[in-house]
Amino acid sequence: MVSSCSKGKVTVKHDPIDFGGQVTKTTATLSGDTGSYDIIETYGFVIPSLATDKKLVALDDLYAKYKDKYDLGSLSESMRKAMTYDGHLYAIPMQGQMFVMAYREDIFKKLNLPVPKTFDDMISAAKAITAAKLMDHPIALPWLATGDITTSFEATMNSLGQDFVTADGKVTLDTPQAKQALESMRALVPYMDPQVTTFDQPKVQQQLYNGTAAMAIMFSGRMNDLTLSTNSKLSKDFGFAAPPKATGDAKYLYDRTSIDGWSIPFNTKLNHDMLFSMMSAAVNERASKASVPAAYPAREGMVTTKNSPYGQAANDSIAGAMPPVVSPILADVTNAIQPILVQVLTGKLSVEDGMTQMQAAGEKIAG
Amino acid sequence: MKPREFWLLIGPSVLVMGGLLVLPLIRTIQWSLQNVHYGTPGTFVGLSNFTAALTDPRFGRAVLFTVIITVISVAILLVLGYLVATGVNMLTVSRPVVLGILLISYVLPQLVGAVAFSWLFDDNFGGVVNHVIAFFGGPKVLWFTDPVPNAILIIANTVWQMLPFAMLIILAGLQGVPAELREAARIDGASAIQTHWNIIIPTIRGVLGFVTLITIMDVLRIFDSLIPLSPQAQAIGNESIMLYVYSVAFANGAQQLGLGSAVNVLTILLILVMLTPFIRGIFKEAKVAR
Repeated sequence: MVSSCSKGKVTVKHDPIDFGGQVTKTTATLSGDTGSYDIIETYGFVIPSLATDKKLVALDDLYAKYKDKYDLGSLSESMRKAMTYDGHLYAIPMQGQMFVMAYREDIFKKLNLPVPKTFDDMISAAKAITAAKLMDHPIALPWLATGDITTSFEATMNSLGQDFVTADGKVTLDTPQAKQALESMRALVPYMDPQVTTFDQPKVQQQLYNGTAAMAIMFSGRMNDLTLSTNSKLSKDFGFAAPPKATGDAKYLYDRTSIDGWSIPFNTKLNHDMLFSMMSAAVNERASKASVPAAYPAREGMVTTKNSPYGQAANDSIAGAMPPVVSPILADVTNAIQPILVQVLTGKLSVEDGMTQMQAAGEKIAG
Repeated sequence: MKPREFWLLIGPSVLVMGGLLVLPLIRTIQWSLQNVHYGTPGTFVGLSNFTAALTDPRFGRAVLFTVIITVISVAILLVLGYLVATGVNMLTVSRPVVLGILLISYVLPQLVGAVAFSWLFDDNFGGVVNHVIAFFGGPKVLWFTDPVPNAILIIANTVWQMLPFAMLIILAGLQGVPAELREAARIDGASAIQTHWNIIIPTIRGVLGFVTLITIMDVLRIFDSLIPLSPQAQAIGNESIMLYVYSVAFANGAQQLGLGSAVNVLTILLILVMLTPFIRGIFKEAKVAR
């Protein structure tokens, strides 16, 4: 990762930042007539609300103008769709992040365990691993109380065919699917570290590195780290698979597909053509190839079993994920239910009470 | 000093203080009475932000937690700071080396220090403390999710981080105690404890008051160290006032700047209330000195 690079008279300044800081800075830079950034990284989840608030430049004309020059037609159509709202393109897709399961292949082989296809399979495997006294808490998931926990709940609901809201804005947190999702997540708790609600993705990685967990499900961007011998002596023991389903009869995988892309903020003073050219160069074939296997670039067919150890798992994950629900209130509802969800998963609130409170919090936002 | 020289010397400080302290304070008070989002002109809402904060049980928990942490940390800092300063004061040749080592935790950025400190308690990163507890037959302590152990962890980090400051100031005070006073106490047959209690502590009470004042203000504003030390602070009730402000005004794209500003105004009032005895003491001493 570079902090800046120059070509001719143009210098691109890029300050690496963590995700939470990025969300805060993006909100701030889009709030006034003058912003700090001329290109911003967005993702499918926030495109609808930013587009509704007219915070992003619609890219349709620029896309048509430069499509052939930068071979933008080879970008995944589904990823472009994720960057589209109300018929307009608001970002050039750059990479995808999907849930992938990493598991200890050596332990699964030793105990003759099948790769889990459902949450029940995960629990069975966890029971076998603890019975063999290999680990105390074989399952590791990023359930950070101030971060990924809502993503995991959303993934569980998606597995059951629902999201927090419908496309027309109806909140669905009091449905049988919501109840089943919460109960399915709570069923995993005894097999995870008791402090799981303090674990973000790096800490889940750390559990795998240390050999204190045998199964983890994270965004694909975390998977390449597991294969590096500099990170863990167990790097050769990890296998990768698509995430399981929440239940045997679930239609989709326990999955989230997040598409990251480049957008032009409405308040930039720079030439839109130049900015669009830069964004297009960042997703060209050479750049995309160079990013594998650390990333899953937006160009079709870039990731395969040959060039990425988790390539097959990532492709299977995308194929089995529920199509995203597009709603401008989804991000706000997600923020609002977070503290209630933590109470439910830590057992301080019953599933029923939690559903009632989350539904009320969601409906307050939906209006 | 001529008035012109006075204003020439004090002018830059007044300008800097006005720009960095007074103007933000005025803006904070203005926003506390408005409903305001980033980059938009606020709309006047009277005292509703204050009502919202004061009726929010989460804010009440944050105030209670912060005050408890402050009182315990400051008490420990004063006692430990005095003991360590007394020990260091007795050193001669090795004093610079010992002082250098003791200051490490103070010069580290607070967040960096807190992350490293958290690893002592985190099983993912070795968790030395839990190993020691297990060695003595104790149970596994959930330092990050159980409220009381987590509060102990936060207090321990606060003391670890701020002890060098308290020690250094108290050490300066101890070095100002006249040797004749100690000598007189010794000749009168006073024990070491009696000498400290009746001679040295009353002599440096001004310094101790200053340490208390600064540490109260610092601990009441505790924020960044809680990010690694208490990742689910809100859920377990171990949220500080500043973490609450960050959460409602900035985190995850939140934009309740009016509510955040109201809480900041309330925090300033809280700090003033907690400092009142010390400020009164300073005024009394100034009056006597006149």
